[in-house]
This record gives sequence, C-alpha cells and structure tokens, in this order.
Amino acid sequence: MSSPKPATSGSSGKDETGGATPFPTRAKRSGRGGAPLLFLAPALLVVFAVLIFPILFSLFVSTWNWPLSEGLGPRVFVGMGNYLTLFTDSEFWNSLRLQLGFVFIALPIELILGYAAALLLNREFFGAGFVRTLLLLPVFFLPVLSGIIWRFMLQPRYGPLAQILVALGIPETSWLGTPGWAYAAVILQDIWRMWPFMFMLIYAGLSNIPGELLEAAEIDGARYWQRVRIIITPLLTPTIMTALLLRLIDALRIFSEVFAMTEGGPGTATLLFSLYANKQAFTYMKVGMASAMAIFLLVLSVVFALTLVRRNMSLEELERKAGN
Amino acid sequence: MKRNRPIVNIAIAVAAFLVLIVELFPIGITLLNGFRRDVIILSAKPFEFSQLSLRSYELVLARPGFVKSLWTSVEVGLLSTAASIIVAAMAAYGISRFRFKGRNLLAYSFLVFRMLPQISLVIALYLMFKSLGIRDTVFGLTLAHTSFNVPYVIWLLLPFFTAVDKSYEEAAMVDGCTRFGVFRRVFLPIVSPGLVVGAVFAFINSWNEFLYALILTGINARTAPVSINSLIGSDILTWGQVCAGGTILLLPIFIFTVSMQRFLIRGVSAGGVKG
Repeated sequence: MSSPKPATSGSSGKDETGGATPFPTRAKRSGRGGAPLLFLAPALLVVFAVLIFPILFSLFVSTWNWPLSEGLGPRVFVGMGNYLTLFTDSEFWNSLRLQLGFVFIALPIELILGYAAALLLNREFFGAGFVRTLLLLPVFFLPVLSGIIWRFMLQPRYGPLAQILVALGIPETSWLGTPGWAYAAVILQDIWRMWPFMFMLIYAGLSNIPGELLEAAEIDGARYWQRVRIIITPLLTPTIMTALLLRLIDALRIFSEVFAMTEGGPGTATLLFSLYANKQAFTYMKVGMASAMAIFLLVLSVVFALTLVRRNMSLEELERKAGN
Repeated sequence: MKRNRPIVNIAIAVAAFLVLIVELFPIGITLLNGFRRDVIILSAKPFEFSQLSLRSYELVLARPGFVKSLWTSVEVGLLSTAASIIVAAMAAYGISRFRFKGRNLLAYSFLVFRMLPQISLVIALYLMFKSLGIRDTVFGLTLAHTSFNVPYVIWLLLPFFTAVDKSYEEAAMVDGCTRFGVFRRVFLPIVSPGLVVGAVFAFINSWNEFLYALILTGINARTAPVSINSLIGSDILTWGQVCAGGTILLLPIFIFTVSMQRFLIRGVSAGGVKG
C-alpha cells in the first residue's frame, strides 16, 4: 500500500504544536463545526435519500395493509397486524427455516474448506500465485450468472454436471425438480462460490503470522498439527470471526443466485427469506407484509453488523497505523 | 515460507491444481458453451466440442434487448461509480481529517449501511420511485446503486486517506489555499491510486447487481444481468446464447480479478478487517 510522505523534515515539529487540531490557522477561521459538514453533506444526503428514508418508509408501510397498486383495494392501517400475521404464516416459518439452514450448513463447510486451502497453499510451489488468484474468480462471478450456470449444469439429460453424475452411476434425476436436492444444490452453489472468500481472508491472516514464531515452535519440536492447533488457530481466530460475520451478513440476504437457479421452487423448497419477501410484494402484492419481512431481516442483519463493527474498531486502528 | 521436500511440493501443486479445476469448472462451462450451438448443447453430449461456432454470439447480439441492456449496465455502472467516488471521497476526507462530535458514530453507521439486506430497501424504493416517476429510468437505478456504493467506497477509501501525511495539506493551507482547494488540488492527486481501486470496485458492484435492477426497472432501464436471466425460464432453451452473453458479462470480471489482485482482500472486506 502506498503511504506517500513529503521529504520535508520540519513537518514533525509542526505536528506537535498543532496538537488536537490538525490545522490550527485555517481551521479556526473557517469554523471547525462547519467544514466537516461541508464535506459530509453529499454523503449524508445520499444516505438519507436511499437508505434512511426507505427504511423509515418500510417501517411505516409495514403497519398497513398496503396492496401493490391502488386498483387492488384500499390501504388499511393494521398496526402490528402484519407482524402478527407473519408469525402465524407457515410459509414465513418455512422461509426462515430454509434461510437459517442455508446459513448453518453452508458457512461451516466454507470455513473448513477455506481454512484447509489456506494452510495447504501457504507455501511456495509451482504456480502458487496463479492458483491463489484464479481461486478467487468465483467470488466475483456475477451472482445471477452463477445461478444460471448451476441451473444449466444440473439439467437432466444434457447438463454437464448431471451427466457426470450419471457417468458415476447415479440414476438420472431432475436435481432442481426435487425439493431436497434443489435445496442441497442451492447450498452447494454457495459453497462453490464463497469458500474462496474464506480462503482469501484466512490466507491473508496466515501470511501475517511471523515466520520466526512458527520456526521457533518447530525447533522446539512441535509437529505440524501441533503448530496449527496451538499457534496458528488461536492467532487466526479474530480473522476467522470477521470472515464468518461478513459471510453471515451476506448469506442472510442471498437472492440473485437462488432466484436464477430455482426461483424458490420446486414449490417452496428453496424459497429463502429474501425470495419470499419478494414474492409477498410482487406476486401476492401484499407490500405491507413484505415490508414487515424487510424490517425483520433488517433488524437481524443490523444486530450482526453491529457485532462486526464493535469487534473491529477499525477507524482508530487505521489512524494508529497511519500515525495521524 | 516453508522448506518442503520436492515430492511434497509436487503433491501440493497437483492437489492445488485439482481444486482449481473444480472451482473453474462452471466458469469453463460458461466459456465453452458460448461457442456451441443450442442444438448441440441439447443433444446430450455435454463434453463434445467438435463443431464450435460463433453462432450463439451472433444470435444473442442480434437481440436488441440484450445489446441495449449491456449499454444500460455500462451507463449505470459508470454513473453510479462517478457519483459514489465523488461523494465518498469527500465524506472519507471529512472523517479522516476532522475531529467532530459523533464522528465515530457516523463512520460506523456507514459501515452498517453497507451491510443492509437489499430486499429491505428495494420494496420501499419501488414505491418511492414509482410515485416520483423515476422507476425504470437510468437515473433511478443509478440512485439505488449509490445506496450500497457510497458507504462501501467510504470504507474502502479510509485506509488510503488516513495513510497520507498531513504536512502536504498544511503547507498548502499556509500558502492560502481554501479547505476545498486543498482537498481537490493537493489531497486527491495523492490518493489517486485509492480512488482508482474504489472506482473499480464500485463499478464491479454495480455491474454484478441484480435485485434492484430486477425490481426497479422494466423495459427501458433493464440491465444485462436481468436481461440474461430473462433468456431462460421460457420453454425456449437458449443455453448457448445465455453462455455467450454470460461470457461477455464476465469479461470485466476477468480483467478485474487479475488486475486488482493486490487489492482484492481489502475490497471484499472494506472496513470489516482490522488494518
């Protein structure tokens, strides 16, 4: 990373006299309260227009029986009614169950694969850099295209993956047409796409562990697995927690891949949370109910996002590192 | 970092390449099937690549809707990138260069905003855009894309911004430059590498985005990901065209992954990882 520093040697003395206010002369004249606001105003405006206002509006709509268009009937205030209806709605519980199952099956597998690959690839071998870079391609693969290609690969009769399975002696199956298999396929798609994400973060954490530490342990007679268990894993735990939280927040809102792959079907077998909210709004045309779901997921995500933020006070960390 | 015996090295290289082959299989399927005709794809010989042709490319590029959606994707991507970079650079400067009340709270709320589920916003945005008459417009979709790109780019830029020594700006201030002049003429040139990284990531975010484009656009401002998804789902099976179109959509991703190697980790974890 680039950290340009001017060659002038007199600057450090000026910094000390500046103390808490970095720009004493001008800052006082322009008014310290006004200047940051000037720089932050555009961002605040955007955040208000496309984030805060829509959230407040969703909150408002979620207390109404609000049909998608006016021709579909009147809007009626129902208070907490939509939320109460949700909790008695079997399709809601189904989507929540599928969503949580998805997260709790996919993430541990992604973590294990990512960790194993990071340990394996954390050394020099022929083509190491090449492998490490290309492994990341699926992470940036268009989510919707990933869903489409998996759908294609699993088509009976001509799908490449389906054909491989047949060649392995597994009877011809309509993988995406069978509820259990479709759900497994959706999870497999996510594992395929996202374990390299875990790998990427854990590998970066692994390369930050000082080599001397591991060499010292080796000299002391620690075997490879002892080193992994006693030194590497504890040192990597913060990185792993961060990677898991980032993945968790992302996995909770999965939509495009599944929409392209199965559209939530067959039936409601892969109707994950966001897909069901989308269906409530644009198929059942119950925008109030969909908004209640939107708020529910929002609260859940914010809880995890706050956990992540509290664990990583990165703003101060950044400044300490930069020495500013 | 480790000294292995050659045989171990070879074993690891072989294992690594096997894993890589599995990981790249679906991508390879996309690339190869773009050069196979639909008739051949449906003929139940998925690994026969004898009659490769550009027919699927011709067909998909002959669809006026697809080509238009590609341009819309580029347009929305560039506009939302430009808007996000300007807005986020100013905000990141404000956060990294001033001490004010609520500064931490503000910075962290941007971090939380970048993690909100899209479905939570899209329904309200749909209603808002419809009543404002900006549904199915490039402007509306661009605005929607700034909702994830602005908070994201702020946190991507912060490490670049805090790393710049303050004495450059101090010198310019002493010379009588205004605060905004310093930002524009002194600070931005220094952090231009960061701005490039931020812009590239913002563009890719926008390029890959599907849900907003699906809900907030119709025929006029439909983007390529929506357009390619609409190729399937009917009873007409056009996988060759889907793969050809998909390959076109993947080109920026290939260039991006290879050229941004050094910044990929920072990009996916912007603000989420210490230091």
